Amino acid sequence: MSEPTPHAETMESNAGRRWLLRVLDPGVLFPGLAVLTLTAVWLITFNLVDREYRTADRRLAALVSDMAQTYEAQAVRALREIDTTLKLVRYSLDARPPQEVLDELSRRDMLPPTLLFEVRISDAEGHGIASTHDLYSTRKTSRITEQSGLVVELEGEAATGADQSLVFSRRLAEEAQVSGTVSVIVNPAYFVSGYDMNTMGVQGVLALVGDGGISLVRRTGENVHTGEATEYERLLSDSSLVGEPAGLSVSEWDGLERYLVARALFEFPIAIVVGLSRAEQMAATNATRRAYYWRALLVSLISIAVLTLLGRLSRKLRLIQAKALEERLEHARRAEHLAFHDTLTGLPNRAHFSHLLTHGMQHAGRYDKRLALLFLDLDRFKAINDSLGHDAGDELLKEVSQRLIRSVRKSDRVARLGGDEFVVLLPEIEAADQINRVAEKILAAVSAPFLLAGQEFHITVSIGVAQYPSDGEDEQTLMKHADVAMYHAKEEGKNNAQFYSEELKSGSLERLTLEQSLRRALERKEFLLYYQSKVDMATGRIIGMEALLRWQHPELDLLLPHQFIPLAEENGLIVPIGRWVIYTACQQNVAWQQAGLPALSMAVNVSARQFLDDSLLRDIKGALATTGMSPQLLEVEITEGAMMVDMPRAVSVLQQLRKIGVRIAIDDFGTGFSALSRLQAFPLDTIKIDGSFIHDLPGSSADRSLADAIIDLGRCLGLTVVAEGVESAEQVDYLRRHSCDQVQGYYMHEPQPACDAVHAIQKNLISEP
Amino acid sequence: MTSRLTRLGFSLLILLSANVSLADVVLVVSAKSPVHILTRNELADIYLGRNSRFPNGQPAVPVDQRESSADYVAFYRHYLGQTPAQIKMHWSRLIFTGRGQPPRSLPSSRAVADFVAEHAQAIGYLDDAYLDERLRRVSIE
Repeated sequence: MSEPTPHAETMESNAGRRWLLRVLDPGVLFPGLAVLTLTAVWLITFNLVDREYRTADRRLAALVSDMAQTYEAQAVRALREIDTTLKLVRYSLDARPPQEVLDELSRRDMLPPTLLFEVRISDAEGHGIASTHDLYSTRKTSRITEQSGLVVELEGEAATGADQSLVFSRRLAEEAQVSGTVSVIVNPAYFVSGYDMNTMGVQGVLALVGDGGISLVRRTGENVHTGEATEYERLLSDSSLVGEPAGLSVSEWDGLERYLVARALFEFPIAIVVGLSRAEQMAATNATRRAYYWRALLVSLISIAVLTLLGRLSRKLRLIQAKALEERLEHARRAEHLAFHDTLTGLPNRAHFSHLLTHGMQHAGRYDKRLALLFLDLDRFKAINDSLGHDAGDELLKEVSQRLIRSVRKSDRVARLGGDEFVVLLPEIEAADQINRVAEKILAAVSAPFLLAGQEFHITVSIGVAQYPSDGEDEQTLMKHADVAMYHAKEEGKNNAQFYSEELKSGSLERLTLEQSLRRALERKEFLLYYQSKVDMATGRIIGMEALLRWQHPELDLLLPHQFIPLAEENGLIVPIGRWVIYTACQQNVAWQQAGLPALSMAVNVSARQFLDDSLLRDIKGALATTGMSPQLLEVEITEGAMMVDMPRAVSVLQQLRKIGVRIAIDDFGTGFSALSRLQAFPLDTIKIDGSFIHDLPGSSADRSLADAIIDLGRCLGLTVVAEGVESAEQVDYLRRHSCDQVQGYYMHEPQPACDAVHAIQKNLISEP
Repeated sequence: MTSRLTRLGFSLLILLSANVSLADVVLVVSAKSPVHILTRNELADIYLGRNSRFPNGQPAVPVDQRESSADYVAFYRHYLGQTPAQIKMHWSRLIFTGRGQPPRSLPSSRAVADFVAEHAQAIGYLDDAYLDERLRRVSIE
């Protein structure tokens, strides 16, 4: 059978599907998803971190800028207050002692709080002459003579720093009562007291720098420094403009990077500095960044884990699916194989063979070749199958199929049509004797002994050959003709091959009719028995009769057993027919005795199939019981071949027959291939020499020696020896001389119906010996 | 555990009250003032510029003594639990950022006594030696 071809699809959709399948393959899909997920997660994370950074950066720059503005405003106001105080005191000084003036101003709340601010008046030499504070503790104020504006100085020991004070001074007017200076003295920490630890941290900076390049005060965290050298110009030039975000710069005093604003104050020789440490302020952002990274890492790991798990599951699922698909395909393949092959032998079955044959014929027709069809049917297979059981039969068929395959070429096809029918197709015939060679090979292969259940068996095959195109140009005709040829081979004694010819056709028609009528023959009572006498060589008396089956066909003549028994064996009708034969023969025997004739033995032929049938013993017992015939008078004749099919069983059947008391004869002795050694195993009473050995007696020396040997053998084994087919007085003479026990043949009596047989017996009784 | 803590608390309290009595600095208002009692927090709020009114809603005008005086140190240490440096820093920030002015500073206990006696809204501290009938001592809870 041709494989079903998938519908052709366009290349494009195929390519698309392949691509999709490749992408959907778990080995690609899940690593791909993992890469995508990780890329997305990390892109988002980096983006977020970057944005976070920039936001923080902008925020800090803006914050520092804002703080600078505030600080600037606060510093300017504080300085103005101080300057206002200086101007007020200078203005208020009159003729009174300066201390009195200060006290007066203080009382009137016109001076800044004494808690923080000291107002002092010094003389031209710098000695304090009046103060809001204890004059004894005040140091000498430096003399300022040249400058007329506000002077800012650090007073105190520069080394200790913390004890230094900021001194804001103005010179008293030339026209004033007192010459000297008025100063406001304040702790430098005052100007950086706005430092808020919460917003500026421990690394922020708040500072006032004098235009002389000395930082007046700088606070970082809790630490207040004074009197540090500072590059005033650079500090200012690095700084951003008013309102703009603060820039980043590295502070010279501690090397920290800061968002820094430095701005010179309007009308004061001072600049403010505000800064936030980048590292410190970014700490939160860095923490956030770390949190983002950890989170991204966690998400990545989880994604990888989940995708790995999914990938594993998917792969497993796909494997299961693939396995299921494979199983389905396998099942379908098996189903298809079953549909087109014989389950027992694995050979193509009838349907498949039909296809092969048609195909072969087409091929042969196209290339003008010849083709041969060999139709094979095993001989006596039914008998074997029935006696050994179906299992053994099946074993045999398997072995036969193997032998057939080995007998033909690779290009030849062997098929089993069913039962024991096989066909061999030779698709290319080059020479005529090629078919013969194959047929011979098959015959030889099949007839080689089989070993079944430890025992040796023999089987043969009948082959019918039909050729294409000479014997038929279509499958049916060719098959039919091969079948016809096969039947001819059966008729020709089996174990041979026959070619189909037109003449066979009529014969086959006969066979067909025969088979149909055979089935009805029993009901229609068309069978009858002829009887042939067996004459004792010593006395010349008839001592027994052999019952011979005849079929009075309604349309044809009287048919002899060889014309229909093979057919009956094939279709199994042999069993009921055989039963009828045994019963009728027994009945006749008893009838003759009752009619006053002496008790003669009655021989009945049992075919191979019948012999191996389970019902044989039952039928014989039944017939004996029904008719009341003495078992000792009944003789069962079995051919050598039938016994050899299944020796152990044959022995067992024969022993049981023996037990009943029935005598056993071996028919057509010498035609089979039985080993003489085995003969002893069978419980036999009689050997019947086949007529073919007698026919040429006493002329043929070969037949003489054979006949002599058989007679001697029988005598040695203590068996009764009967010669069949005796046709002349010379033969009788020869046989008598060679001590043959009994003779049977046309010379004495031909087979005749019961009524005629009675006369012959009576005549023989009366005649003289 | 609890009892030990309680005992420790008691001893601290005793020590504290002993110190206060040793310093002999008392909180006073004018005899005309309705204020008799203040909590420690209310007092701190008034002196640190966080609140300019008494609990009864009347304006409060606190007065200080000189920073260098013993009464000043004793007052801030015992009533507000602060050092002069802390007070200075506190006012530095307030003044610099323009959010307040420290209490008026008077040169002596006598000056405080006179000022408080004259102003009904005033509150001050002084050596108890200067207590007189124009003044009333304010209890601290």
